[in-house]
Amino acid sequence: MIYVAGVDVGNNTTEVAIAAISGKDDVRFLASGMVPTVGIKGTVRNAMGIIDALDRALGPIGIPRSDLHVILLNEATPVIGDIAMETITETVITESAMIGHNPSTPGGQGLEQGRTIHLDALAARGAGSETLIAVVSGDSDFEGAAAKINAATARGVQVVGAIVQKDDGVLINNRLTRPIPIVDEVKFIDRVPLGMPAALEVAPPGRTIERLSNPYDIATLFGLDPEETKRTVPVARALMGTRSAVVIKTPKGDIEERRIPAGKLIFLGHQRRVEVPVDEGADAIMDRVAEVYPLEEVQAETGTNVGGMFEQVRRVMADLTDQPVTAVKVQDILAVDTFKPQQILGSLAGEYALGNAVGLAAMVSTQKLPMLRLARKLEEEIGVPTIVGGVEADMAIRGAMTTPGTRAPMAIVDVGGGSTDASVINDQLEIKSTHQAGAGDMVTMLINTELGLDDFELAECVKKYPLAKVESLFHMRHENGSVEFFQEPLDPRLFGRIIVLQPGNWVPLDTKELLGKIVAVRQQAKRKVFVRNALRALKLVSPGQNIRMIHFVVLVGGSGLDFEIPKMISDALMEYGVVTGRANVRGTEGPRNAVATGLVLAYAKHYEG
Amino acid sequence: MQISEDMVRQVIMDILGAAQGSAPKANGSSDAPPPLSFRELGTAKVGTDRNEVVVGVPPAFGKAMTKTIVDIPHSDVLKEVFAGIEEEGLKPRLVRVTRSADVGAIAHDAAVLSGSGIGIGILCRGTSVIHQRDLQILQNLELFPQSPLIDRSVFRAIGRNAAKYAKGEQPNPVPTRNDPMARPRYQGLAALLHNKETQYVKLGAPTVELAL
Repeated sequence: MIYVAGVDVGNNTTEVAIAAISGKDDVRFLASGMVPTVGIKGTVRNAMGIIDALDRALGPIGIPRSDLHVILLNEATPVIGDIAMETITETVITESAMIGHNPSTPGGQGLEQGRTIHLDALAARGAGSETLIAVVSGDSDFEGAAAKINAATARGVQVVGAIVQKDDGVLINNRLTRPIPIVDEVKFIDRVPLGMPAALEVAPPGRTIERLSNPYDIATLFGLDPEETKRTVPVARALMGTRSAVVIKTPKGDIEERRIPAGKLIFLGHQRRVEVPVDEGADAIMDRVAEVYPLEEVQAETGTNVGGMFEQVRRVMADLTDQPVTAVKVQDILAVDTFKPQQILGSLAGEYALGNAVGLAAMVSTQKLPMLRLARKLEEEIGVPTIVGGVEADMAIRGAMTTPGTRAPMAIVDVGGGSTDASVINDQLEIKSTHQAGAGDMVTMLINTELGLDDFELAECVKKYPLAKVESLFHMRHENGSVEFFQEPLDPRLFGRIIVLQPGNWVPLDTKELLGKIVAVRQQAKRKVFVRNALRALKLVSPGQNIRMIHFVVLVGGSGLDFEIPKMISDALMEYGVVTGRANVRGTEGPRNAVATGLVLAYAKHYEG
Repeated sequence: MQISEDMVRQVIMDILGAAQGSAPKANGSSDAPPPLSFRELGTAKVGTDRNEVVVGVPPAFGKAMTKTIVDIPHSDVLKEVFAGIEEEGLKPRLVRVTRSADVGAIAHDAAVLSGSGIGIGILCRGTSVIHQRDLQILQNLELFPQSPLIDRSVFRAIGRNAAKYAKGEQPNPVPTRNDPMARPRYQGLAALLHNKETQYVKLGAPTVELAL
């Protein structure tokens, strides 16, 4: 009898299975271990994590490391994923002629039109029929500003609206004899052109503006010709969904939408070469990828956004694996449509708009060399022979088959941190597998960007756990609407906030977004990546590229533990009449440890005693 | 050794004297703003209006003392805090907490009186706390401990955030600045102001509703 250890180095976790093998196919599993992966998957630094995981598994069962006959390392199909995101459109407004934003508390409501005038210039105006919009800079106090506007109104000057720098909209409005709509928190008030015709709209609470977000209404208000109207389209679009807005007509049409060349991707397959511009969006990109499959290399147009991104990916990978940059080949990519909050250049209030962006996960295939180096390093460190062998997805399906109630033919989807794999085993026990870029890490990136969190760990948290809103110190409302009460008061830092229910440590989110919006972003990110990739991967391995030919799908991998991903994949596969469930490797491990278990089983197949 | 108030005063005076006027001018000098004219409306009652934030001040506020440690008149303090609350569409209510000069106790008393459960406590020297009635006195929603760094815009933000808590929104906490020099520069003065403020406390006295 010998002791063997199967080791699976994943993007996020290193998993170990320890077994005693007494003869061909006679395996008894003794222990499992799991630790976070040290370093990037497939590099020498992993050795630390592997040793740690081995010790954790071996410790409780009292077997010293030196008693191991062999360590089996997954081939970690030397593929590393990286993710990047590039914006494809950018709105630039020069000599800005619009203010559209969402101060939480604008004053008054309604649509008004008039000529812009500085607050201090009001005193010099006599009564008249011309309507005016007062521009109130930050040095004016709200009481003073209200007094000046009241004085002007009393003299018969038509002040119909105001643009205010500080957060004073409601305060000024409350002190006016005749209420007017007021847009406040306009950061760059000094850039507001004076003496120009302007239109100002404030929507009632809970509504968004309707007139100034429509180019034809803008045309009506300012008497624009069709050519000028066309130029206001980006303005109108940027104002959509806001509660207050100002549009000012400047002498020249000073607004332009600049499209930054997002660049082209060039896919090289066995026989074909296909180009696709990134700004055609994720669907177009993925269609082309499917056309040329299997991919051999992806190139990107140099001097563009996407070119820079690929350059970066290649350089990082080359560094990590100690290979020349030219040897790094991109084997698969996953493109996902997303949004990125972007500052509108030339705006007056520091507004943000959601720019279209494409998120890309690139999988780089490297050579087997680094894995062999890792194996040698491991041998040196602990003096146990180490074998690299077995394609990850093949091993995963062997491990998954230990789930009670499964048998061939079946398929697995391995949803991990960096990649999504699928394999199918048929009646003859032949295995076919594929490896796709994009999994948990990409979801984290999408959440991070779309919510503008700027904190990868927090985004990871949002991805993993449900949300709740703390409504008082004694109760919170969960994202599904149910209410939970507490005997002891909650931490005051959580009061009134949306929190992530990370077990043991609830994390408050500093965001203006509504709970429902965050949930929607999280779920969409998961759907875009996991559902798309699961379908894509299964299609490639299923007989005749037809998912309907598969009857059972078993989910393995860390993301299989997620609280909603299995249901999403299951729902999507239901349409194909496929039964989906989460693996329970060896009846004890849940969706984890499938590859490590598979490695041991594959070794035992050829063990002759 | 027993440290008496007089000793503290003496030591601080010695130090201030030795510093030859480099230390900030003590509060209560001749150019102090005039006292505020409060109308007392009797013992403050617990509010039933969800639409209010109660602001609590100590007994000396606006009377024996009329400006903060950095010389902001108390009238301006109240104006900014009230403006912050009003801008968010809520109503401020002012009470004088006579029983304590502790900012946590004042803020908590205010919160208990508040229909929304949110209260603000402001000491004469400017130290402030946003409190919630279900919290312990020594807890807080937001604490602004360094009085020399609280200017008009911070007072406005304190009012705004308190109102947002009352509305059930989730405000970003007011950025609190930290100045390591504030402590050596102002600690003596702050101690004096605290002692002065404490003299006016009447233990067990009821909290009084005020109108400006």
